[in-house]
Amino acid sequence: MIPLLETRALSKHFGGLHVTNDVNFALAPGEIHCLIGPNGAGKSTFFRLLLGEYTPERGQILYAGEDITALKPFARIRRGMSVKFQVPGIFPSLSVAHNLEIALQHHLEGASLGAEIRRLLAFLNLTAAASDRAGNLSHGQKQWLEIGMAISLKPRLLLLDEPTAGMSPDETFATGEMVQALNRDGVAVLAIEHDMAFVRQIAQRVTVLHVGRIFAQGTTDAIIADERVAAIYLGEADAPPLRSVADA
Amino acid sequence: MAVTLAMTLLRRLEGPQTLGRGPAFWTAFALVVAAAIAYPWFADGYTVGNTAYFFCWVFMALGLCLIWGYGGALSFGQTAFFGLSGYAYGVLTLNVGAAYGFTLAALVLAVALSAVMAALLGYFLFFGRIGGVFLGIITLSVTLALERFMAQTAGPEWKIGAARLNGYNGMSGMPPLTVPWFDGDVVLFPDVALYYGLLALLIVVYLALRILVNARFGNVLVAIRENPERAEMLGYDVRRYQLAAFVIGSALAGLSGTLYTAWGQYITPSSMGLTAAALPVIWVAVGGRGDLTATLIGTLLVLGGFQALTIYGSQYALVVMGLLLVVVVLAAPDGLVVAGLRGLGRLRRRETGR
Amino acid sequence: MDLLTHAFTFLYQIGDAFSFLVLSACGLAVVFGMMGVINLAHGELIMCGAYVTAASTRAGLPLPLGILAGALAAGAVGMVMERLVIRHLYGRPLDTIVATWGISLAATQGTLILLGSSMPGIGTPLGSFTVGGYSYSTYRVVLMVAAVAVLAGLYLAFNATRFGTLARATIQVPHMAEALGVDTRTVYALTFGLGAALAGLAGGLYAPTMTIVPTMGTTFIMEAFVTVVVGGADIFLGTAPAALVLGTVRALLTTWQGQLFGQIGLLVAVILVIRVLPRGISGLILRERA
Repeated sequence: MIPLLETRALSKHFGGLHVTNDVNFALAPGEIHCLIGPNGAGKSTFFRLLLGEYTPERGQILYAGEDITALKPFARIRRGMSVKFQVPGIFPSLSVAHNLEIALQHHLEGASLGAEIRRLLAFLNLTAAASDRAGNLSHGQKQWLEIGMAISLKPRLLLLDEPTAGMSPDETFATGEMVQALNRDGVAVLAIEHDMAFVRQIAQRVTVLHVGRIFAQGTTDAIIADERVAAIYLGEADAPPLRSVADA
Repeated sequence: MAVTLAMTLLRRLEGPQTLGRGPAFWTAFALVVAAAIAYPWFADGYTVGNTAYFFCWVFMALGLCLIWGYGGALSFGQTAFFGLSGYAYGVLTLNVGAAYGFTLAALVLAVALSAVMAALLGYFLFFGRIGGVFLGIITLSVTLALERFMAQTAGPEWKIGAARLNGYNGMSGMPPLTVPWFDGDVVLFPDVALYYGLLALLIVVYLALRILVNARFGNVLVAIRENPERAEMLGYDVRRYQLAAFVIGSALAGLSGTLYTAWGQYITPSSMGLTAAALPVIWVAVGGRGDLTATLIGTLLVLGGFQALTIYGSQYALVVMGLLLVVVVLAAPDGLVVAGLRGLGRLRRRETGR
Repeated sequence: MDLLTHAFTFLYQIGDAFSFLVLSACGLAVVFGMMGVINLAHGELIMCGAYVTAASTRAGLPLPLGILAGALAAGAVGMVMERLVIRHLYGRPLDTIVATWGISLAATQGTLILLGSSMPGIGTPLGSFTVGGYSYSTYRVVLMVAAVAVLAGLYLAFNATRFGTLARATIQVPHMAEALGVDTRTVYALTFGLGAALAGLAGGLYAPTMTIVPTMGTTFIMEAFVTVVVGGADIFLGTAPAALVLGTVRALLTTWQGQLFGQIGLLVAVILVIRVLPRGISGLILRERA
């Protein structure tokens, strides 16, 4: 089975700093995969490489078998990727409903557009806020709105950069359930996360990044049990050569 | 099928990107248009010609409103295209003349020239991922360089065909817009006929822009203004939309330039100078850059005010304009007309108890 | 004319263009590079310096003191501008452009009303020297030295003084500086004042070589902006090399086609450079993140 997303020897450096260092990564269709690692490990840079906001110095990115390394972000989005950033990326002075309309108008119009907007508003618990200025929403609501815009594109692969940052435990759990609901519809998810409860809730596989390299990779339980992973969070371990924990 | 298309377009006259909707607004609109049509019966020829002069400038303001207010890109290039098209009209009509309605063709060609040049400049800017302040600086530089270039074309060797460019003195003597008619061409001097022509053009452009900004194109444009990264991540090629808005807005500036040249039968480099380049920014900022109607009203108000100041207090006009700009930016960044309309809306709601 | 004379003329012209660009741009570079503020009234601050210098020199002050007076006057005006207008528009770069443009418009016209359409100038001092049968203005060489001196002075000011360190810290991470007890508002005001004073200095230095008119700011502003934009945010790694590159381009074109094409060529070069190096020369040198 061809991986939905694959990177081969992907590398990027800023000045002398190798932020992404020879990363070989693969994500299967329909998989929920979490990317963890201490701050500065290069997770957000990796995302931006996947999206096309950064250009790698070496390596390739493949999507459903197609080499997309040279494509601009909007072209990658059109192939079925979608992203939700860490800092809520919404259109602040437009209304909530209008935000969704801009996301949906790609493939819908007229009556079906209106119906889909209403459906999404209900799904995101934002029906009451539909005509409010999006910039006035609470932080958690903004996150949800952006997730809503990201999923309205009906992507095959959803990239989430710290989706639960700033959320309460209840909101975090609800986000996890939403991600699993999406996954049942066949959407693959790659999420950067720090919240281990969330990772435990949703992840099928986990990759650990450390100073730009893949430090460990495996099932959620195996990674969480791995003492070396804990050590790099505490700053005790230096970057070791690539090793992968045996799948359970 | 044509009927459904027309219905879709008409529905777009109202939408999230424009102020003013519902029967109250359109009744007021109809009244204003009726008043404008009746105006020449109550005013003398000079005043009518003067109002026509104001109308010439509104297109440039609407163009900047589209580029800046809706698209979020502050372009100082409006006056460059104003001058470019103005000179182009002059060169074309001085060489070919006004027969067989050529002046109308020259109008179209001059505007098209601006559109093409805007496409080239815009390609450099937007596909080079230049935005924000750098866009402003580069467009300002282009405008100033054009002015300096035209200002030094004083010698007799500077001519295109029969049209001498004339440096600082500018080009003059080109024919006004001339409409071919059966028993004699209608020459549109600054008088009633030109007034009606410009009024009609203004209404058409205004309505067309309303439809454009409320359509999907407008949605994407304001999305780009609000958060260009997010707009790209929704699958839109941001550069193309910005380029399209830039070309349309700059072509409108070219339209203004051509009409101005045809109105007064002259064009000089000073219409591309630093002061001239500030004026559209002032009109749009004072009116309310985020809305077409506000820009339209604001532009006419500021033009009228500026002219009044120039007549009565000549030197202080520009000082007032400069300070007005500062005050508006600090105190009413959405524009005075927008603030006024919102205030009216609040008053109405309070009165009707809603 | 032999090769050496050609070479000297060429070098002289590059130096002349370089110093003009450095002196007109450094004030703008300080304000834009460090604070991200675009000040379209920069030309009028230069004009202020020129007017004060001309007036005080005519009143009897020796030229160097007159220039200093010009710089200080412009610096004061700049600080007032910052307090009244700029301070409220941090984080809104496009609005800053618009507001400072309004100030520029009002200032130019206001000067015209108050002081008339021109002021008696002050002559260029120090006469001329000849090389290979052609004469060159000595004062212009002084200006070249001044340009280098200003760059050196700024370097020292920002890297070797307490104020410089505070300024750089405040501008890079304001809330940390606040947490360390720095009065960030004063730092911003002083930095903007410094940029304004540098503009006044440029005006004062060039006052003896130009006619003193209210619109003289426009002579400087386009070229200053172009230099800052091509150079990027860093003064030493950006503005200075940009001034050198642009100065050379300008000198080449002026020699070949005349003054005006020099200016236009500058503009074309800028558009090309911006397309290729979006962060300017300093961005290339520092390999900034895109």
